[in-house]
Amino acid sequence: MLDRRQFLKLGGATAFAALFGGCEKIPRKLIPFVIPPENYTLGEAFWYASVCGQCPAGCGIVVRVSEGRAKKVEGNPLHPVNRGKLCARGQAALQALYHPERLSRPMKLSGGRGSGSYTPVSWEEALSLLMGPLKKVKAEAPGSLLMLTEPMRGHAGLVAGRFMKAFGSPHRVAWDPFGADAMLSANAAVHGIRDLPEHDLANARYLLSFSGDFLETGISPVHYAEAYGRMRGDRETIRGKFVHFGPRLSMTAAAADLFLPCAPGTEGFVALGIAHVMVRDRHTAASSAAGRLADDLGAYSPEEVEKKTGVRAHDIAAVAEEFSRNQPGLAIAGTAAATGPDGEFHCGAAALLNVLAGNVGKPGGVSFPNRAQAFAKYGAEGALLAPSPESGYAGMRAALEKMRGGAFRMAILSGATNPAFTLPRSLKFNEALSKVPFVVAFASFLDETTSLADLVLPVPTGLEAWGDDPAPVGHAGAITLCQPVVEPLHDTRSVPDVLIAAAKELGGEPAKALPWGSFRECIEKAYGGPGGEMEKALRRGGFFGESLSPRSAARTGNVAFPKAAERPIDGDPKAFPLALHLYPSVTLYDGRGANLSWLQEMPDPISTAVWRNWVEVNPMTAAGLGLAEGDGVTVTSPSGKITAHVAFNPGIAPDVAAIPLGQGHTRYGKYANGRGENPISLLPAGETYALQATRVALAKTKLSTTLARTAHPEGQWKISNLM
Amino acid sequence: MARRHLDTAISLACLALTFFLSPGAAFSETVPQPIAFSHKNHVTVYKMNCRFCHSSANKSQYANLPSVEKCMMCHRSIATDRPEVKKIAQYWNGKKPIPWNKVIDVPNHVYFPHNKMVNAGIPCLTCHPGMDQAGTAVQNLEFGMGMCMECHRKKKVSIDCWTCHY
Repeated sequence: MLDRRQFLKLGGATAFAALFGGCEKIPRKLIPFVIPPENYTLGEAFWYASVCGQCPAGCGIVVRVSEGRAKKVEGNPLHPVNRGKLCARGQAALQALYHPERLSRPMKLSGGRGSGSYTPVSWEEALSLLMGPLKKVKAEAPGSLLMLTEPMRGHAGLVAGRFMKAFGSPHRVAWDPFGADAMLSANAAVHGIRDLPEHDLANARYLLSFSGDFLETGISPVHYAEAYGRMRGDRETIRGKFVHFGPRLSMTAAAADLFLPCAPGTEGFVALGIAHVMVRDRHTAASSAAGRLADDLGAYSPEEVEKKTGVRAHDIAAVAEEFSRNQPGLAIAGTAAATGPDGEFHCGAAALLNVLAGNVGKPGGVSFPNRAQAFAKYGAEGALLAPSPESGYAGMRAALEKMRGGAFRMAILSGATNPAFTLPRSLKFNEALSKVPFVVAFASFLDETTSLADLVLPVPTGLEAWGDDPAPVGHAGAITLCQPVVEPLHDTRSVPDVLIAAAKELGGEPAKALPWGSFRECIEKAYGGPGGEMEKALRRGGFFGESLSPRSAARTGNVAFPKAAERPIDGDPKAFPLALHLYPSVTLYDGRGANLSWLQEMPDPISTAVWRNWVEVNPMTAAGLGLAEGDGVTVTSPSGKITAHVAFNPGIAPDVAAIPLGQGHTRYGKYANGRGENPISLLPAGETYALQATRVALAKTKLSTTLARTAHPEGQWKISNLM
Repeated sequence: MARRHLDTAISLACLALTFFLSPGAAFSETVPQPIAFSHKNHVTVYKMNCRFCHSSANKSQYANLPSVEKCMMCHRSIATDRPEVKKIAQYWNGKKPIPWNKVIDVPNHVYFPHNKMVNAGIPCLTCHPGMDQAGTAVQNLEFGMGMCMECHRKKKVSIDCWTCHY
């Protein structure tokens, strides 16, 4: 029998052995290569240039690759879009590459549709499962094939477009929840060009933002943030001034010299108030336009605008005077303004200010480069390659109707925009898709949309694939080349590669339309191939030299006056007292980043919350509702109901509740699932995809979860001092 | 009595474990290797440069072990009848790497970049004395901090902590 002392000694010895036993695990073998890979030096890193695929901005990246592994992603200093900078989402591309939940093999459905249970199959079997129905559809009813993707551009867009055309189906739908529809329509009305503008922030002296959260989200956040940095600090004697109007203190608003809160959905009126003062005081550069607009602007005196917006008349007058004195001045309308029911009006009013300031086509102003010029050699097909900033919402709704009517026999899904997650529930995407007899999804991960497919084909991530990418803004004619920076980690094939192979097997028109052996060959043929210009361009990251001539058509004289439809948002103000303000998350974007733990772990710059979503409320409003910081609440709209935690934001309008998008996944892996509820389910299914489209009511409720924040709100805001 | 035996046994076991398991002894006995490679033959007799085999010594923190392909570059035709060379050929034919045993260790928490030393013109034998006369690899010098500091002082290079510890 052991006594206590012996027992302790033996215990100590066991612990000792266990502790030092661990050291034995240090590898004592040195295993050299049999044949070393080319250009391989242990411990020596190479940087390969490519393009970031984490959002549609198209920033250039360089990836540090050591021992055949991608280890760090940074911005490409030569790239005109981001000039060496990169955001957190771009950095997290590595996590997407090495993600344990990545699809490594093709999978066929083994349970009921939507059950999410799949069996891995070989590529041969997967392709035969794809080609069987595809051939049948081609022979019997080619128009019943639907291709539903995120907006595709560059030669991937060409391959997809040509495939569908040669197949004989016009049903190619691209969906992007943050498409700039309102801005495009506004530019068409004001400038006569339905395109995204290039904002030359770096050379502006005065910047007006109407809910333009361009530093965190928007069309190209890194491009704007970098240019903003130059506007503020790159000129010796000029520091550009920045004034932000909007209903919520966002990260961008917090960076402004002056943040003037306005009532939700009134940004356009503030802009017209400023325009009114400029015209009244003859402070406009475009006098002909000013003369024509004087009557229309008469109704928007600062005093009238104050009644509507809550921004004081003397503030409007002072900003208008500063704006007109400090030229070039620039006005930008952002996502929150553009995604209201009156988005086109808000964007149009901001565009009008640019016209009155006389900055169209000038340094420090807005310009409209002729993007089609980059792909002029493709003629009419050039549109397939150019970036499409449209949301595709109308096409999506039409496609959903057709799905319900049984018009489609087969659907091909691809892309990260995840319509089952990002479309309002009331559109019933899942139910509509269930009416399509055979659904194929190309994906790197199972998510709410891809898990509805019969066959899931794994695709390489952006770091493992060939491609080319014309960025939507900030590029002035540049084309970024995308190359695999590492050997593909899994048995994956890219969408264009599979389409090219499928076309070959279908023969006839499709085979003629896609004459390449692989997508790499398509890219090489387009850009001069290895050994030629392309090799040099791959080292730099793309073709950045050629700048596009601006379109001469930008209209500055005969400008259409933006009219506010003043559509009421959903919900009776008595039953639903707060306007819901949904905004893209700086980390999760439209929700695609939610499965990456680095992004979940990154504190929101305003609320400092992590791993869960929240509802931002003004502390005064919260006090009226008996809500404390971190309390659980039920957020109810006429269309739906979710629960969330309260996070105080003293910089938010008292009649607004703001929720970031991106959380609320149910089928996007263990890092994304069960982290709050999807606020999109609060939205009605309107004519346009409007994020600021409903009113909500808050009611205290008990939640079993807590909201983790990295800074105490009192310490951050000193609310007691503010109140 | 039994208790004393047990105590002794436990102490001895701990001691044995310490010696047996502690990584990176200062001076190595000859470590058995899968092939009885002779550094002396290659370096002293045939005057080969160390970097012919340890090719990344001037490019990377690691000096690198030669690949089997590199051994076979010469031994496809040279000394093919020697038993040790035949062993290399066996690895090559089987497309298998040679599982060398590690001999030289730098203490923990030290960053030692071979390329910095080689490019500064420090001869390999400064830190690996006797390697030119050895058979398989040996470690004849204790890599203590004193040795590094002495040389760094003499050569008037940085002795900041973070030059080596980061």
